Amino acid sequence: MTTAAALWSGKRLRMAAAALIVVNGFFPALWILLTSLKSESELVRKPITWLPHAPTLDNYVHAFTAQPLLHYLGNSLMVASLSTVLSLLVAACAAYAIARLNLRYRQWILTAIVASSMFPLISLLVPIFETMRSLNLLNSYLALVLPYTVLNLPVCTLVLVSFFQSIPKDLENAAMIDGCSRLGALWRVVIPLSAPGVFTAGILAFVNAWDEFLLALSLNASAAMRTAPVGIALYQGEYSFPWPLISAALVITIVPVAVLIALFQERVIGGLTQGGLKG
Amino acid sequence: MKRRTLTQWLSAAVVVAGLSGQAALADTKIRVFSGGQNQRPDLMRKLFDAYQAQNPGTTIEIETGGATSELQRQYLSTVLNAKDTAIDIYMIDIVNPSQYFNAGWLEPLDSYVGGAAALKPYLPVYSQANLVNGKVAALPAFADAMFMYYRKDLLEKHGVKEPKTWDELTAAAKKITEAEKNPSLQGLSIQGAPIEGAVCTFLLPYWSQGKQFNDANGKLTLDKEAATKGLDMWLKMVDAGVLKKNIAEVTTPVTVNEFKAGQVVFAINWGFAWDVFKDAADSQVKGKVGVMPLPAVAGGKSATCVGGWQWAVSAFSKNKPAAAQLVKYMSTPEASKFLAREGSLLPVFQSVYTDADVLKQAPWFKDAANVIIAGQARPISSQYGQVSDVVRTNTNAALARTKTPTEAVNDIEGRLNRVMR
Amino acid sequence: MLKTLRDPSEKVLAWLLLTPAFLLIALIVIYPVGKLIYNSFFDLRLSGGANLGQFVGWLNYQDVLKDADFWHATQNTLWITLITVPGALLVGLGLALLANLPFQRKWPVRLALLLPWALPLSFCGLIFAWFFNTDYGIVNDVLRRLGQQETTMWLLRPNWAFAAICLTIIWKTSSFMALILLAGLQMIPRSLYEAAEVDGATRWQQFWQITLPLLMPSIVVALIFRTLTALQTFDIPYTMTKGGPGNSTETLAMLIHKTTIDYLDLGYGSTLAVFMFLISMAVTAVYLRRVGQTA
Repeated sequence: MTTAAALWSGKRLRMAAAALIVVNGFFPALWILLTSLKSESELVRKPITWLPHAPTLDNYVHAFTAQPLLHYLGNSLMVASLSTVLSLLVAACAAYAIARLNLRYRQWILTAIVASSMFPLISLLVPIFETMRSLNLLNSYLALVLPYTVLNLPVCTLVLVSFFQSIPKDLENAAMIDGCSRLGALWRVVIPLSAPGVFTAGILAFVNAWDEFLLALSLNASAAMRTAPVGIALYQGEYSFPWPLISAALVITIVPVAVLIALFQERVIGGLTQGGLKG
Repeated sequence: MKRRTLTQWLSAAVVVAGLSGQAALADTKIRVFSGGQNQRPDLMRKLFDAYQAQNPGTTIEIETGGATSELQRQYLSTVLNAKDTAIDIYMIDIVNPSQYFNAGWLEPLDSYVGGAAALKPYLPVYSQANLVNGKVAALPAFADAMFMYYRKDLLEKHGVKEPKTWDELTAAAKKITEAEKNPSLQGLSIQGAPIEGAVCTFLLPYWSQGKQFNDANGKLTLDKEAATKGLDMWLKMVDAGVLKKNIAEVTTPVTVNEFKAGQVVFAINWGFAWDVFKDAADSQVKGKVGVMPLPAVAGGKSATCVGGWQWAVSAFSKNKPAAAQLVKYMSTPEASKFLAREGSLLPVFQSVYTDADVLKQAPWFKDAANVIIAGQARPISSQYGQVSDVVRTNTNAALARTKTPTEAVNDIEGRLNRVMR
Repeated sequence: MLKTLRDPSEKVLAWLLLTPAFLLIALIVIYPVGKLIYNSFFDLRLSGGANLGQFVGWLNYQDVLKDADFWHATQNTLWITLITVPGALLVGLGLALLANLPFQRKWPVRLALLLPWALPLSFCGLIFAWFFNTDYGIVNDVLRRLGQQETTMWLLRPNWAFAAICLTIIWKTSSFMALILLAGLQMIPRSLYEAAEVDGATRWQQFWQITLPLLMPSIVVALIFRTLTALQTFDIPYTMTKGGPGNSTETLAMLIHKTTIDYLDLGYGSTLAVFMFLISMAVTAVYLRRVGQTA
């Protein structure tokens, strides 16, 4: 290996890469964290301060007391989890049908599923509201779970289709020769082997549902069923935007979820992929 | 044995049914959409509790569906377009009654309040804004207007009198900022971002020249020369260093925060700011703040932009009589006095401004009354959404210097001529 | 579900598997889309014009084609799409490749990839608007420390504002791309690379001959959705500049939002939405074909 290659090989490269990725991902989160420890007047100081001059945890206390933030988080968790599970189930079934079973109208079906995300949500809002109202579902978990599932269906389905397609058919055939049904093959062979795809589709669906604002604002307006993003938006006023308070609320809302997902992913995916793919 | 039990059960059932029937008759639930933090839902709750005590069987629930006008508009748009019956009363901005009434979303209150005469006791600007097509669209909750806040201490220190015209203000600001030698001290702070407040930024110098934006029928009567002069006035202040160069980025909270941190000499803002400057824990200007009416242009009159919030009954409510009763209660002088005393919310009745109790809590109200009485409401139009958008976008463009004032004014006229006919 | 069924014919199974998806879509989407298209043929200006509720045929569609705002907003939207889709792909691919290197502890890197996606869109724009704020933003602060004399008013110059918006969008969505591409990378068996190294292939050749072709399905999927969301860009420009200065950063989705919520013109707003659908369909039709084809 040449000197240059030696310099940039192995550990150095990995550390540099890690540093790059971490800075890219973390810096706004870090900024939010720092802001959450400041007071409002510090934000209009010139020149601006990076580290808080007089760090305070007041914003965190205020975030919890000004509104039932934990309750909102609970609502968000319920809605996001339920819709993710539902999305994955429905999408896995649909993706398997499209990827494996020789349907003539495969292309049209795929297009139809994706087409549902080609309309701006703001234009669909009133009819969706009317539908939920006539089903008497307003201000309930289902009011959000059902639309979120549909909103995430295109992404999940397409991701799973492309992953299912990349798994060699022989593995399923082998399983079926051994006595497995089609569905069994799906459950036992295809899904575990596309674990990274399933998990990624799950993350995308979960975070999408977690952050969704428009539907949550309109459909679950009552305080008891409010979700976190809507709750956080309520800390502001017509004439005030308390960055430190809102930053604290954002930290509380995002960081635990993201950390859990990252840890979960390392354990679960690591385990699955090591087993499944041996080339 | 069986027969007696049956009769007993039957009679018990009848009694229970009768009781619950009675309870059902008196038991009304009214749901109120009450805006965000700055509309003081906590104080409204106290008023509602008092009403509930006086009217047993009525429960009032507050819904907060959005903290800012934008989010509220979004929520209301959805809910009212779907003709939802869930909410009975809405608190709406002063610019909304015309638009919402014409959209068929508000119930005319005439039959419940005795006709248009019910609006007479209020300040004239609110009587006008809430009377749409001859009907009572809403009743005022509390008032607001734009005031000129200033650093009393700095003016005293440099021997400057309170400016009565914009030219005097420019001179005063320059004198003070030059003497203070503080690079982050701004002369004047206004709102130039494309928010609702920018409509006021456009109208203040325009109105001060004695011009009207539209006639009584809603037709556009824009005096282009005066409008251009108005925008030019702001730009001249930027060139003179009185307004900061990126004034087109400034929103209401930014002005408040900068003034509160002691970085501004003169600031235009709404009534709520007074309490913020006086009471906030991190306020650097406690005891140093004065408030006065807005300056006038040379040879013109002082003009200010009026704000404020109104109570309206939803056209789709299932409890209209009960809701109208509550709205009447919330718009009485007593309610106004309560809000003024407890929250420094500007009253909608002239008499309340001079009430002894109120003045004890908020001495500055004495001067505020004249400001609001002389104040003007933004164009009352059934298409206010579009009017506001056109004016604020073009004002922002002019202040950001992506359009010249002439271009901006031409654009406003071109677009609104079709809309405000 | 895992009871041993006698396998029904493949077709029946396929339709059965598709039914839940169809049911959900029918429940949530069919009525709204139907109503949307229906509304586009009526005059539904709620400001109380005399024509409220009248059937106007193709009038709304003709008005859209003549509307300078529509063309301007569409142009902005297409520019955003042209810049941020390849941008997010490149950055996302880079991030995914870097993240796929063998790290001892994977979770900090995974977390760093996930965080941009996890930051709610509605706040992302506000945060970056603050970063680019002329007085209080860190961008100008860093530039000042590096010696720049003149402060740039980022969000007040149409081109800079546009650049700031694109940068923010790329930052946020490269995370989305990276997550999908990383999953795709993880499916490529190590043995292929090992065999290539034995054959003497360089890293670059390995990338072009192994990684890229095998990653292509994931890339196509990621591109489809990135493109669709780019065409519907709303939150970031709305919160960063509100379309300003003036109208220069207004996108089609913002125009639809304004027309529906502020102008209360449901008919015209629905028509604009139909146009957005047609544009989206036209742009993504080609990609979709590739996905449907069997591997």
